[in-house]
Amino acid sequence: MNIRLCNKELSPLQRRTMQLFGANLGFTAVLSLATHDLVKDMHPSALFIYLTALLPTIPVVGIVVVVSRYLARETDDFIRMLVVQSLLWGLGITFVLDTYLGGLFSHPQIFRLIPILNIDLFCVSVGIAVRIQLWRNR
Amino acid sequence: MKNRLRVLRAERDWSQADLADRLQVSRQSVNAIETGRFDPSLPLAFKLAKLFSTPIEQIFSDEE
Repeated sequence: MNIRLCNKELSPLQRRTMQLFGANLGFTAVLSLATHDLVKDMHPSALFIYLTALLPTIPVVGIVVVVSRYLARETDDFIRMLVVQSLLWGLGITFVLDTYLGGLFSHPQIFRLIPILNIDLFCVSVGIAVRIQLWRNR
Repeated sequence: MKNRLRVLRAERDWSQADLADRLQVSRQSVNAIETGRFDPSLPLAFKLAKLFSTPIEQIFSDEE
């Protein structure tokens, strides 16, 4: 099934951006879990921990590059404005939820159900914001 | 900013989608410009002027 944006097929640029965005998001989650398990099982040196902790940041930088590239190449000003507004909403929601969850999980009696990555929160927030923006401007 | 886009489009019997295709933008962009929720960039304004063979100031005016 083809993904549709603004009731029309995605442009090659939009399709490529979505694919790269999703791939980088997946890599971030996989690398975060993998490095966490690696460090937990191996009892490595502090230097190794610092270096492996850097690994999941690589696809996060990738996401920034992918989004920057998209914004630079998107020729439709209105769609670009909607995406930028959605990114700002995503940042705002991520900050709010991160502050809330950070405060919540700092209490030992609160059981931490799942490891939540800020990048996941951000991407989900941006996705929801984009859908709302497109619905409002349908 | 006010504009006469809807009138100019209607004179040519174009739908918003037709105009969007000619401008190579989304239909939502055309709708947002027509309803005054979005002011087009200068290149897009020039593109509109060229498409309608009309000076920019006859399409857009700075009245609220």
